Amino acid sequence: MALTIISLMKQVPLPSEMRMGDDGLMDRTKAKSIINIDCSYALEAGLQMKNENPEAKLIVCSMGPPSFEESLKKALSMGYDEAYLLSDRRLGGSDTFATGLAISTMLRHLGFGKGLNEDFIIVAGRQTSDGDTAHVPSQVAENLHIPQATFIETADLIDGHIEAKRIIEGGYQIMKLPLPCTLSFTPTGIPPRRPTLSGAVRARHSEITMFNIDDINLSDENIGLSGSPTIVAKVTNIKSERAPVKMAEGHNEIELIDSLIDNIKSGKNSLEVKETKAKKVKKRPEGFEEVDFRNGAKGILTWAEVVKGEISRPSLELLTPARHLAQQLGNDTKVMTLLIGKDIGQLAKELIAHGSDEVIVVDDERLEEYRILPFASIFEQVIKDKNPEIALFSATTAGRELAPRIAVKVKGGVTADCTALEIGEHINRKTKKIFAPILESKRPTYGESKLATILGFVCPQISTARAGTFEVPTPDNNREGIITPFSPQLGKDVFVSEIIQTVIGEGGLQNLFNADIIVAGGRGAVVDNLQLVQDLAEALKEQGINAEWACSRPVVDEGITEYARQIGQTGKTVRPKVYIAVGVSGAVQHIAGMKESDTIVAINHNIKDPIFANADFGLVGEYEDILPVLIDKVKNGFKFGLEVK
Amino acid sequence: MINNSDVISTNVLIVGGGSAGLATAIELANRLKEKGQDKKIMLIEKGSSIGSHILSGAVIRPKVFEDLLTPEEFQEIPFDSKVSTDVTAKLSEDGEFELPFHPPYMSNSGNFVASLGEVCRYLAKIATKKGVEIYTGFAVDDMVYEDGKVVGVKTKDTGLDHNGIKQKNYQEGTVVKADITVLAEGTRGSLAKKVIDKYNLDEGKSPQIYSLGVKELWSVPEGNIEEGAVYHTFGYPLKDKSEFGGGFIYGLTNNRVGLGLVVGLDYPDPTFDIHASMQIWKTHPYVSKFLEGGKIIEFGAKTLPEGGWHSIPKYYGDNFMIVGDSAGFLTTARLKGIHLAIRSGICAGQTAIEALTKNDTSEASLSQYENLVNSSSIYKELYPIRNMRAVMQEGMIIGGLKMGIQLVTGGACLAVPKVEADMDTTKKLSEYKGIKFKDRFPGKLEFDKKLTFDKVTDVYYSKAMHDEHQPPHLVVNNPQEFQKINIEEYGLAEEAFCPAEVYELHFDKEGNQSLRLHAENCVHCKTCDIKSPNGGITWRTPYGGDGPEYNYM
Repeated sequence: MALTIISLMKQVPLPSEMRMGDDGLMDRTKAKSIINIDCSYALEAGLQMKNENPEAKLIVCSMGPPSFEESLKKALSMGYDEAYLLSDRRLGGSDTFATGLAISTMLRHLGFGKGLNEDFIIVAGRQTSDGDTAHVPSQVAENLHIPQATFIETADLIDGHIEAKRIIEGGYQIMKLPLPCTLSFTPTGIPPRRPTLSGAVRARHSEITMFNIDDINLSDENIGLSGSPTIVAKVTNIKSERAPVKMAEGHNEIELIDSLIDNIKSGKNSLEVKETKAKKVKKRPEGFEEVDFRNGAKGILTWAEVVKGEISRPSLELLTPARHLAQQLGNDTKVMTLLIGKDIGQLAKELIAHGSDEVIVVDDERLEEYRILPFASIFEQVIKDKNPEIALFSATTAGRELAPRIAVKVKGGVTADCTALEIGEHINRKTKKIFAPILESKRPTYGESKLATILGFVCPQISTARAGTFEVPTPDNNREGIITPFSPQLGKDVFVSEIIQTVIGEGGLQNLFNADIIVAGGRGAVVDNLQLVQDLAEALKEQGINAEWACSRPVVDEGITEYARQIGQTGKTVRPKVYIAVGVSGAVQHIAGMKESDTIVAINHNIKDPIFANADFGLVGEYEDILPVLIDKVKNGFKFGLEVK
Repeated sequence: MINNSDVISTNVLIVGGGSAGLATAIELANRLKEKGQDKKIMLIEKGSSIGSHILSGAVIRPKVFEDLLTPEEFQEIPFDSKVSTDVTAKLSEDGEFELPFHPPYMSNSGNFVASLGEVCRYLAKIATKKGVEIYTGFAVDDMVYEDGKVVGVKTKDTGLDHNGIKQKNYQEGTVVKADITVLAEGTRGSLAKKVIDKYNLDEGKSPQIYSLGVKELWSVPEGNIEEGAVYHTFGYPLKDKSEFGGGFIYGLTNNRVGLGLVVGLDYPDPTFDIHASMQIWKTHPYVSKFLEGGKIIEFGAKTLPEGGWHSIPKYYGDNFMIVGDSAGFLTTARLKGIHLAIRSGICAGQTAIEALTKNDTSEASLSQYENLVNSSSIYKELYPIRNMRAVMQEGMIIGGLKMGIQLVTGGACLAVPKVEADMDTTKKLSEYKGIKFKDRFPGKLEFDKKLTFDKVTDVYYSKAMHDEHQPPHLVVNNPQEFQKINIEEYGLAEEAFCPAEVYELHFDKEGNQSLRLHAENCVHCKTCDIKSPNGGITWRTPYGGDGPEYNYM
């Protein structure tokens, strides 16, 4: 049988038109819809594989309401051969766990899976713009028991195996995977082709195969709200109003820079706080049954990710919420950390110093580099052994694929990319039950405009925490803790994927998403082709700051730099601690991509430009004069307020 | 000759999903059904969906819809509201004067205020139901010829980079072969322009001349304006004699206001800026009172062919017809073209069905289209005012007088000035002796972003998007000449007249001037193709689906 390339695709509302229903779930009825951007890159990746393997069959699968037909037709018009839609009202309210199960059940029904037709590749988008979890590809792979690689930029099918370029923090990896496997794609590879008119004519006259859950033998308790281990408990607005800008004053660049630095040191202007009514304290209803659903599960498990022989910073940050939760839970709740790698025993003490009570060490020469299958298997075994109530991962590329895969193994829920983690309780007024204590995982959603609180009712309650949100705890070298070696059972089958090469350093502009300071050059900073902008970023890096440089759209239009550096509506949306806009006028399209930055510094020659209305600190001047002075200050230790941290 | 692997065919291909193209499709489908014939009608539209590139005032004369649609279909047309108030006012810098009468042709009694985009979406639904295959998001700017005759079109190749180099996602365009190709691209259609040029269809005609309309849609507090209220203004801030045009303010349902300024592109001042004029016009108390406390919802711009009868080219040939704005069917005196666009579509549809039945789509066979137009309301409406726009070059007062004479004489008029193409009326910076635009309105060109907006902000409200990975769709025809003439002699008039800040005059440190092109801002009004001095710019279609995303324009 010939190879089948299966593309998983979701239709999403245009991000600018997203609305939410009163129930906190997505209201898909009003907004104009598009193929989720990441999914469209996966569609293209599938078409590219077909170029090299003309006999391959291309199929596209989706799950959602019948209106998804529009996007499936588009996939057909791009060149896909067949389209399948799993559509059933009973699927409404499914979380990622239930979605992963439903999609993999559909694929099995179509004859794909272990023990069935194994000559297939699944291509999917990294994540969707209306969910932002990046869980489903991992969960489909786990349900089908096949290897996976996520955050893939490009993939080639060579001699019956996949060679894929995987984006990781600050770099990339070249991976080799056997078939069948699941690949999830970032929107940074080959852009999706546009349908041809002849393709659209063909698509109009083709049928889409629709399934309901009975057709694929999926029972309704496994899907929808009842099959979902997590629920959205609450959604609140995130306010992001900025106080008026503080402008630097001075007669020359030296005075201006001194004034700017003084301003930054003295802090932003604050908004007038409107008096808000004191929140009503909700009374705990009486006569409700209190449920402790933990069933004896106890403790918090975190993962210590090792990169280049060191514990990654986000993994240390993770110990802050872990300790906080342990304290809230009280009752001698322990923080346990799983440390996996080769010759990493000495790192355990560092984890204890930062807040771990117990470090579980798996030291194995085969585990020098992170790979999902052995790591997921180790977690499964440790969870079985330690029975923690909560498991936390940092939301790195590794954490975001590992957590959902583990969740499927333990049949639990997972919440992605949290910015706050608290212990609370959940009152179900229908069943008159109070679930407590429960982990409240809070995550920004809907283009960072809302904060959703997600609850899971299966232990361990799994969450990934956004890197850079929590501070690294102050280490205490006298802290005591125990170190427990652990020997997992690992069969050959978990080592089927290989890492051919890991490159960390420049390149991989994913770092724009993680940088603490971004220096962005606009049209007003191109006289020297952004050299001064790059110099400023470089000077910050020399000071040990995770800095990166970027640009606004006109700079890309003029071919001065690559599209990957573009910030704004049609480029990247970033939220560094400090965003320094140099010669950026501040068109709304640009503001949309950076307005969530903690602090915005604007350096621009025209005081009337809108950038100043969107900045905390401003300086009016010619950047060619200003930046050299500023770079000197940075070389002498000025770090835009990041000195203290 | 075509050398394309991807070829499909249809009986009738309609390029453009506006009122003219959709009317052609519906008329054709109706007649096919009457005759029990089975022919394939295909309509392609460059907007991402029907309506996304449609912009009009609009006040619509409904009569023609009765001829196109069944009574049941007619009942359901989503007009916004019936005209309730109808006022024309002359604005001056410090006041206004409401005319106690309607200027000739300007009465709107019995007409409807509408979003033409909504109406087109409705027409598309009807057309689809009748079997027309509509494909949106496909752009065309090449005709396909065989033996010197039109045989169809080719959609754009996609997957090219900025320099036109094929990328990994390259897709060759599709050739659509058709027995009859109907060009319904709207004003200054890219294909119509090529066909007119190839077959000299404008021989012996006046050049087509245009206006640019810049429009905003606002949401305002209840009570600001009545539904169906229609106000037209002339005068401020336009200069009589050289800037022909005026404003419109229409009251819509749900406390919305559609308003805009329409100005002829035959003005001389190379620094004249219609978008800025519209912003200044909004600050006039007569206009601003409607907007107080409101906020902008949408923005857009469009050109209108205003030359009238003398500027209409021959609009058919072997295997093709041109309808609607592409042919220049618009009544300047009424400020309306929709009813004529639809009428031309009906005529073209009727012609096509007979030609298909006879299996003869030659020029001789399609000349029936001209006969039908000449016996239709198009002729009755356009011929008597054939000299109207030309005399308006002399200003509203003298022009208005001459227009009055024409109404008595049935259109004849002594001393009709010669019409020049809009690109030729712009004066060089050194030759323009009047006060330059920005000196005419000191202090009024700072936009407060509440009532008045700079171009980039307005463009945001057009939701215009263009794929960055494609050759710029605005082609500088001759870069050396452009530098010397358009930049050095005219000071980049394009920067002033483009309502969407596509063109920017950049000064480097040494004071050298150069063009910066921001093709992504384009709202597809095509003013640059029309008005660029020396024909400096050619507007080509960008990839299908790109451009503005109008909702209720």
